[in-house]
Amino acid sequence: MVSRRKFLTTTGAAAAAAILPARDVLASRTAGESLILDPETREWVRYSQRRAYRYYKKNGQVPEEFRPRDVPFRTAEEPGTIIVDGNKHFLYFVQPGFRARRYGIGVGKEGFGWAGIVRIGRKAEWPTWTPPAEMIERRPDLAKYAGGMPGGPDNPLGARSLYLYENGRDTIYRIHGTTEPWAIGLNTSSGCIRMINEDIIDLYTRASVGAKVIVLMQGAALFRGV
Amino acid sequence: MMERVRRILVATTALLVSVVPVGTAANADELVIAVPNWPSAEATAHIMGVVLEEKLNIDVTYQPAGTLGIFNGIDNGKIHVHPEVWLPNLTSLVEKYRDKRGTIALSENGVAASQNMCVTRYTAEVTGVKSVSDLADPKMSAKFDSDNDGQGEIWIGAATWSSTMIERIRAKSYGYADTMRLLQMPEDVAMATVDASIAVGRPFVFYCYKPHHLFRLHDIVVLEEDTFDADKWEIVFPADDANWLQKSRAETGWDASHFHVGFAAKLKEEMPEAASFFENITFTSDDITTMSYALQVERQEPAKFAKKWVAENSDRIKGWLQ
Repeated sequence: MVSRRKFLTTTGAAAAAAILPARDVLASRTAGESLILDPETREWVRYSQRRAYRYYKKNGQVPEEFRPRDVPFRTAEEPGTIIVDGNKHFLYFVQPGFRARRYGIGVGKEGFGWAGIVRIGRKAEWPTWTPPAEMIERRPDLAKYAGGMPGGPDNPLGARSLYLYENGRDTIYRIHGTTEPWAIGLNTSSGCIRMINEDIIDLYTRASVGAKVIVLMQGAALFRGV
Repeated sequence: MMERVRRILVATTALLVSVVPVGTAANADELVIAVPNWPSAEATAHIMGVVLEEKLNIDVTYQPAGTLGIFNGIDNGKIHVHPEVWLPNLTSLVEKYRDKRGTIALSENGVAASQNMCVTRYTAEVTGVKSVSDLADPKMSAKFDSDNDGQGEIWIGAATWSSTMIERIRAKSYGYADTMRLLQMPEDVAMATVDASIAVGRPFVFYCYKPHHLFRLHDIVVLEEDTFDADKWEIVFPADDANWLQKSRAETGWDASHFHVGFAAKLKEEMPEAASFFENITFTSDDITTMSYALQVERQEPAKFAKKWVAENSDRIKGWLQ
């Protein structure tokens, strides 16, 4: 039983307990580093940018765990729903019969910066990318794209983009392709969810506008609503 | 689902925003069953409708409505049945309409409902967590850490739920507010987290309530704690005092709740067979979990599900009609 003394001393911490920004949460982890499941030992091992890049250079593809596959997945969510687990770098596309198609993803440096429920508001093939003003300030070479960089192989949004909306409004977050396929399994983006082009093309053909997207609160995700 | 927990705990004042049904007074020879917007109530509303139509030859119409609207509707004769009246949450409405105005009656046997902290079976096995108070141990907390800050995370409910405020008080009283990060998120996010945590083998601890389809979907373990003791609960509401958290304590498990079928008291004279059916009807917590699972997870149509349920439970229903 909690004593009166304990009761009095816990209150300050409790009041501050609920919500902290993701950058505080991740302070203890080396930038860009994450954990991935070693398929042989079934242990979660550290996965760094250097390791990821080396692996991709040697094998020409992402580690086995991050390649698309159908997995058992018991859920009450209806088929067509997307569940994003940024902690384990998996995106689940719910299918009938308690199964899901699982893809590997890359996520934000400091997590997505958010967690919660959104919907696919629109979809685009070879989407235009418009760098945010702060980014242009940091990198004046991008000023030529202030009006939007046309879609194509060099466009950082990659082959396809699913635009995430909340209550009918664009959240500025997307699930999109990438020009850096080795970054799957890492925390390196600015808050978007990255997939290799082949996978986002596959997901794009399956996912519908209006589909529910649930971003989990584990790991890097921020613990407040979108 | 969110509606369900709101209903479990929300203060009665919040119910003032419930949908008030519109419509004309019901025909004398038909019954209007209200249908609240959560799965188990949808199921039981249709089950009662099928019994009334098939066994008692009474015409039924269904009226989607919120709790306060249903109480008003029963009071003014436009609605006859509320499938789930929660106690002690709706005590003030029951006092007004049953005890003072005498317009509503409740079924005798309520369905037991409960609120706890839960883990997945995998979690219980790999972490060894058994009781709610274990979470106050920093070593136990670390086993629930998903973001490498050394501190575990626990889902305590949606930010809008009244239960979440009480879960913050419980976290403080048990001591795990100091050792764990308290997460507030919509229920669908937490339930998808349970799904994904089972898929990858990651420990997860979370607020849970019964009846709920979760208990049929996954192998879930309820954490142990002392049973409710009113002397160890002092709840100060945020609306009443800015220092509510410091001034409150909740050092034991939650008090038990029950929900009953509510029906128009005048039916006892006007339609005694129907009234006796409502009085006797006895669903179990397992029934409600099954119904919620059928509608929420299997996505069965409420009307079709009800016909099947009535056919499969004819002996029990016969007992309720005597």
